Amino acid sequence: MLDGLKDIIRKSSIHVCLVNTGGCNGCDIEIVALLSPRYDLEQYGIYVHNNPREADVILVTGAIAEQWRDKLQRIYAKTPEPKIVVAIGNCPLTGDVFNQEGGNVHAPASDFIPVDAEVSGCPPRPSEILEAILTVAPGAIAARGRQKL
Amino acid sequence: MSSVIWYLYEFARKSWAQNFAAAKSNSEIMDKPSRFRDYPKVHKEYCIACGACTAACPAPMAIKLVRDVDSAHEQGITYPVINNRGCIRCGFCAEVCPTDPKTLTCGENHLIREKFTILPVDKKYVIDDYLCIRCKKCMKTCQVGDAIIQEDNKILIDQKKCISCGECLKTCPVKGAIKGIHIANVDEQKEIINLVVDTLEAEIEAHEEDVKKIGEGEVFKLDMDADDLIEKARGILPNEELIHDIIENITDRLKLRIITWDKNKCVDCGLCVKECPSHAISFTKEEGVVRDPDKCLKCSICYQTCPFGAIGYYIARFLFKPSENGGNIIHITLKTSDLPVRS
Repeated sequence: MLDGLKDIIRKSSIHVCLVNTGGCNGCDIEIVALLSPRYDLEQYGIYVHNNPREADVILVTGAIAEQWRDKLQRIYAKTPEPKIVVAIGNCPLTGDVFNQEGGNVHAPASDFIPVDAEVSGCPPRPSEILEAILTVAPGAIAARGRQKL
Repeated sequence: MSSVIWYLYEFARKSWAQNFAAAKSNSEIMDKPSRFRDYPKVHKEYCIACGACTAACPAPMAIKLVRDVDSAHEQGITYPVINNRGCIRCGFCAEVCPTDPKTLTCGENHLIREKFTILPVDKKYVIDDYLCIRCKKCMKTCQVGDAIIQEDNKILIDQKKCISCGECLKTCPVKGAIKGIHIANVDEQKEIINLVVDTLEAEIEAHEEDVKKIGEGEVFKLDMDADDLIEKARGILPNEELIHDIIENITDRLKLRIITWDKNKCVDCGLCVKECPSHAISFTKEEGVVRDPDKCLKCSICYQTCPFGAIGYYIARFLFKPSENGGNIIHITLKTSDLPVRS
């Protein structure tokens, strides 16, 4: 009964924290575009907070620069359970154009924190990001919530 | 009170209630537009395994050439594989792909090709912006219609549209403003130009004694028979029109500098030896001051240095024209230079 109630609430209100770990900012701009009236993220009950302590979903962008290795793990630790991680763009997946010979990026992000969903593209379209969050987040959050309790 | 009633009326409408319940972005503004350049598509069968796509790709993980396992009958085919996790959808791979039809297609931009309009002509027309007076007579006579265009107050010939008919050259009132350039046989053209310049120089040097007598402000005129020259040029390249065009163009623009040396006036002071930038002038006790014509740059520094007037410096101009008896002559005009002598 309590779980059922929690599931419903978690599905209808998703709090998101955006973490750029050293990318070109292109994916962040696409996420900001999601907030615009054209895509209107909040009509789906998704709120961008940029505070890991309030977040259910961490959106990771960027190719994990040297300084971000431990800080990404700290941000993940600070996020309350149940939490999921969505890697946005090619950078946290493969390092993209930054992963050249002699470069100092530590992609993929899944080396440091568990990644639940991946959105490829450089940058991905806002609709692709939205689709990924909506298809993965409610179910994954609910499942994780039940796991712990 | 009236505003409250208006609000109640507004909220009671059925369409408002429907929109409120199903508030959602219109799917057509969310979807990818048809012009969106998505990930490249691979058509394996056309690939020639040249590797141009992998070299052009800016993302290191995005594209790899893969070869299938050989079977008993034939070799496995090689083809590129796109990794969507690395691809940035730039479309460079499709742009560089040399096969026809393309192995990689990505969007539509790389499929747009300019129409093939090169006609089999060996002449190209260009406008010399320095000489052009912008009378636009060429624009009016252009047979194509829009092959000559005006851009930033410059008249230009659009080489993609020009059919090299030569009508613009006939109407141009300024000699040399429109040039017909022969594109083929560039090396032979260079040889002919060298031949013309060498012949003219030799002709003037043969008349050195006359040249020395030219006073200030006087003009020395000389006619040279050009038929021998044309006969020699035919030996290099048997193309009558090209030879005529080259000789006419070169004589129009050519300005030869002539240095004469009067041994009687020279007192072997050696001032010019040090000044010469190419070390063409040398001094020995037996021969005195000697100039090496092969090394000489004709820069006129020795002429400006010499305090005794032993060195003469003249400017020669040329005109190529048909003579009365049907042949061709080159009309040579020589005058002293206006350069001051350093005192």
